[in-house]
Amino acid sequence: MNELSPILVLEVTVRTLAVCGLALAASLVIGLPIGVWLGRRRFRGRVLGVSLVNSGMGAPPVVVGLLVSMLFWRSGPFGFLEWMYTPTAMVIAQVVIALPLVVGITLAAVGALDEDWELQARTLGIPPLYRAWLLLREIRLGVLAAVIAALGGILSEVGAVLAVGGNLAGETRVLTTAILMYTQMGEFELALAMASVLLGLTLVLAGALTVVQQGGRS
Amino acid sequence: MSGARPALSVRGLSMRRGAGRSVFELEVEELDLWTGGALAVLGPNGAGKSTLLRALAGLDVPRRGRIERRVAGPVTMVFQRPIPFAGSVEHNVKAALSGQALPRSERDERVAEALEHFDIARLAGRDAATLSGGELRRLSLARAFALRPAVLLLDEPFDDLDASGQEALSLDLRRAIAGTDAAVVVVTHDLRRALLLSDRIAVLREGRVAQQGEREDVLARPVDTGVARQVGMSNLIPVRFEPPSHAVVDDQHRIPVLPREEPGAVAWAGIRPERLKVDVGRGEGQPIGKGRVLTVVSDGVAVTVTVSWAGHELRTHLLAGRGLARTIAPGDTVTLSVRPEDIHLLL
Repeated sequence: MNELSPILVLEVTVRTLAVCGLALAASLVIGLPIGVWLGRRRFRGRVLGVSLVNSGMGAPPVVVGLLVSMLFWRSGPFGFLEWMYTPTAMVIAQVVIALPLVVGITLAAVGALDEDWELQARTLGIPPLYRAWLLLREIRLGVLAAVIAALGGILSEVGAVLAVGGNLAGETRVLTTAILMYTQMGEFELALAMASVLLGLTLVLAGALTVVQQGGRS
Repeated sequence: MSGARPALSVRGLSMRRGAGRSVFELEVEELDLWTGGALAVLGPNGAGKSTLLRALAGLDVPRRGRIERRVAGPVTMVFQRPIPFAGSVEHNVKAALSGQALPRSERDERVAEALEHFDIARLAGRDAATLSGGELRRLSLARAFALRPAVLLLDEPFDDLDASGQEALSLDLRRAIAGTDAAVVVVTHDLRRALLLSDRIAVLREGRVAQQGEREDVLARPVDTGVARQVGMSNLIPVRFEPPSHAVVDDQHRIPVLPREEPGAVAWAGIRPERLKVDVGRGEGQPIGKGRVLTVVSDGVAVTVTVSWAGHELRTHLLAGRGLARTIAPGDTVTLSVRPEDIHLLL
């Protein structure tokens, strides 16, 4: 029987936050520009791209876990990297889950902007980087919605991280995989402790983001 | 336009927008924008006004021809729908200056000046998203003027404003234009506002420049009936020219014109409404006969009187609340007069 140790809970919590934080940051860095691009540009194949994004928003995490596992399995195309059962593989799986959410919500936010917004900024001679910053300010409510959705999705996700991380103690165990494991072992005290932390994290982070988002509403 | 020089020159420009059946082509052989001058671009819907403006702003690439910048400085455009940036009114104007490496003090000075100029300084701290339509227009203009542009392109700057809003904004805009050396282009369907702001006129029709020139010249001497209607020469009467100085409408009606030599030509006589006089004393033109008043419509400033004469409906304007305008009524018989120099013959 395992002991309920604050250090154990803290270790798993810190790893959870690190994996989810990195995955969220990567999703935003990759997803925001793609969302803006898909939302503003008209090109052949755009509808296909948007449909892929929309389908991706509902992709089952366990299937994502399976696909990422196949990529990083020893015999897979990226097997030589030896990332299977590492936090890196978990971050990648979570990015795959969060990316469509970030792209989809961003493109919807950008699509609601006046179609001449960018041209107006350009004709005022505003430099590209500052223009990007203005655009982010413009769609900040949508961006925060994307952050809330993505964070909620990856923080509570278990199928993909279990498939690619393997729930190795001290290496890839995160709150969701720990809760699942302790529940299956009948160690409800530990499972409940981890679940309380996860629930608390979800509430605090989503709450804080919502406060920021609604504070930004004019 | 003393000291004026070309700011932007268009040569052999060809633009194409749309695709398939909805393709639209704009061809402009020659058009110059002058520093310190304002060009009003008039024309019916679909004539190519916005296409021309977008080309001048460099937003669309010409298929052929060129648009030459002849002066340094920003070329900026104010769109028909005001598009504010998220943030305060002051932030909006500052954002517009972000591309110019200005010392903070000069930047703040320009922001304050632009807000003052368009009477929105009291709104500096307000979120731009909470502004009314009129205030947003003023913000768009303040943002553009703060740049001190070399070329300023205005697309329907009075759209969706009520009469008093238009009046106030047009006066502020006129003052702002007078205080800059920018070459200004105003696209508007409102002839009165266009005339208030511009010193040159270009009339577009079906993607071509039907006429361009000094304002008074285009107003007084349109090249055809289409341009005449576009520039407010609404009284167009089919006539036969009888040398040396008469335009004959029918057996009973003739209009005196300046002497010229084109015998027997079928033509149109154009008279601007403000040049057609009703019931005036001697010295104000030559009488052309009597007509019957059909309608009298006042907008509080001007009274538009429609008179039936020789089977045509002619229009004239009177100043509201003064003289004849106070007594004239539908059904009245009035004498019409014009000066020969105010008759424009379109042969």
